[in-house]
Amino acid sequence: MSMRATLALATLRRHPSRTALAVMGIAVAAALLLDMVMLATGMRESFRSLLLTRGYQLRVSPKGTLPFDSEATIDGATAIVSALRANPDIRAVSPGLGATLALPGNRFPSVFSLGLESDVQGDYVLDGGRDLPPPSNTTVNAAVPLPAVVNRAFLLRSGKQLGDTLTVASGIDAQLRTTARARVVVLAGEGRFFYVPAETPVMALPLRELRTLLGSAYRDRMSVAMAESRRGDSASVEAVRTWIAQTQPRVTAISTETAIRQVEERLSYFRQLAFVLGAISLGIGFLLVATLVTLSVNERRGEIAVLRAIGTQKGGVLRQVFLEGFMLSATGIAGGLLLGLVTARWLNGILRDFPGLPAAFDFFLWSPEAAWKSLALLLVSGTLAGLLPAWRAASIPIVRSLREDAVG
Amino acid sequence: MCCRWRAVSAALVLFAALAACTALAPTARAQGDTLLSPTYGRRAPTVRGIAVDARMAEDFGLRPGAVVRLSGTPGVPGDSVTVAAVFERKADPAEVARREYRIRTHVDHLQQLLELDDRVDRFAVGVPDSVPIDSAVARINHVAFGFRAHKSADVAVQSSRTFRVVERFHRAIGLITVVASAVFLLCLLLLSVEERRRDIAALRLMGISQATVVRAIVIEAALVSVIGSVIGAGIGWVSSLIVNAHFQQVYRTPLLFALLTPEIFAFATLTSLVLGIAAGAVAAWRLVRTPPLTLLGR
Repeated sequence: MSMRATLALATLRRHPSRTALAVMGIAVAAALLLDMVMLATGMRESFRSLLLTRGYQLRVSPKGTLPFDSEATIDGATAIVSALRANPDIRAVSPGLGATLALPGNRFPSVFSLGLESDVQGDYVLDGGRDLPPPSNTTVNAAVPLPAVVNRAFLLRSGKQLGDTLTVASGIDAQLRTTARARVVVLAGEGRFFYVPAETPVMALPLRELRTLLGSAYRDRMSVAMAESRRGDSASVEAVRTWIAQTQPRVTAISTETAIRQVEERLSYFRQLAFVLGAISLGIGFLLVATLVTLSVNERRGEIAVLRAIGTQKGGVLRQVFLEGFMLSATGIAGGLLLGLVTARWLNGILRDFPGLPAAFDFFLWSPEAAWKSLALLLVSGTLAGLLPAWRAASIPIVRSLREDAVG
Repeated sequence: MCCRWRAVSAALVLFAALAACTALAPTARAQGDTLLSPTYGRRAPTVRGIAVDARMAEDFGLRPGAVVRLSGTPGVPGDSVTVAAVFERKADPAEVARREYRIRTHVDHLQQLLELDDRVDRFAVGVPDSVPIDSAVARINHVAFGFRAHKSADVAVQSSRTFRVVERFHRAIGLITVVASAVFLLCLLLLSVEERRRDIAALRLMGISQATVVRAIVIEAALVSVIGSVIGAGIGWVSSLIVNAHFQQVYRTPLLFALLTPEIFAFATLTSLVLGIAAGAVAAWRLVRTPPLTLLGR
């Protein structure tokens, strides 16, 4: 280790409690800054990865709405899906229909149901059991139990297991206490649904059968369609989106970027809070290092004067004090990194309690680029905080300082 | 014969005219305007009224009396309706981030638009004061089929869950800030007290007792904490004004996002005072335990 580094280390070790406190203070500032950066970038990246989980870059929803933002559905779904699939720039289209089905005789009265085509669906991943059968044009046999994929919350709350059957119904008449349509389903598989809150029971059924169950009014309806552009670059995706908007006037097509922008607008409060707290952390870190280095320099005026007197150049003294600030900041930031990851996990757990939040969404997400940039910024600002005291130290009048130190 | 034929012709023409009017004025008939009405076919069809929210009225330049078209299906022209009223939306934290427009219609009008027949999403039920709410809920649920009754208070608890999560998050950030502030305060007080080690050594050598020195430093730390708290509260109050003005404009809502209450000020001042006294006491005690000559560097 160089002499300067040794001297800097010795200076910091001379007052261990003071140094420890300063390092702790910088660690807390670094942790807060890291958390705020993770919050500011995490929401965007988490939502983006959520939307692109299965590769679908476009969402088609009822005009003027976001997917599943309301109970509105799109009529003429078959024609729209066929038109989308006929476009050579579109690789796959996944239609979906959301509805609430009654569960007569169950522990809870109803369940949110998703009608999907299993061969193209992008809403869940199968964790166990069997998946939904692929779509077919054969006549629906109402006597055969309908296979369904449910999530863990459904199994836990209903007390059922895979292989069990239950009845689902729709068209409830409260006065006559009857249902218009009912069907026996068998719980064929357990899935992890990306866009549904983890605590909400959900059931996926074949789209055609769900439409039949809901009645003639839903014969050709869908709530949303996901589309995957053959080319994944943003220009191609936007071209496909524009084509959908021009050829399908009754729907709204949004790309991942647009969806992210709209969700960010709704969550802009957290981004702005993150920016403000991050800026304050940066300021606090700067202030702490500047104060500590200034006081340290003031205490060692005599020592520094001796160094100058025996021939140490101004630049040498400057580098010495700079190094102290750098070491302090670096140590604090290393501790802050660990502390920040722990507090981020805690804060993420709090915010994940938002009702209606998709299971796969996180507020605090580690983004290496953003994290390292912010910590590097804190390191630089902490090091620069020692600039003024370092300059003052290098400019100490040697003779006067020696005399003051000797006399006291 | 000629007169009889003229009378029959006149009757046939009159009948045809009446039939034509009847065919051409189904709306009038639907509105209850009958053939016997003296204004039959001449009265304008009734236009339904709707209420729009203030944000929508501002964005589209709508005022009471304006005529708009309303449809349940995109791309379909729909019916003409008149804006009967403009309403201000509630300052609901759960809805503040949603930028959608809202309108209110009569129930039957919306049912007709959406072809929902005799369907609603919910009923709001008021019970007389003499009836316990729990028993009313139980009685309704006993006969319910396909729906459930809930107490408004329980619904409010559920729907305010968003707000409570934000509250918990703010508390967590507040806790982190308090811990960070405590560390900074301790660090800075320690530094400032240590900077005066020679002065303290001199006082000790003059005969001032340890307790007096500690008391003086603690009082100083307490004063600094209180003054800092007052200044901080002032900065916090100004910041809350800026935050409210900014987010009320962004979200176009009267909701208050930040509020400095006397309780919050008292809590912040008390916390700062306790932390400051503790930090000052620790810093002072560390120094007074050190022999004065050591403090002087001898």
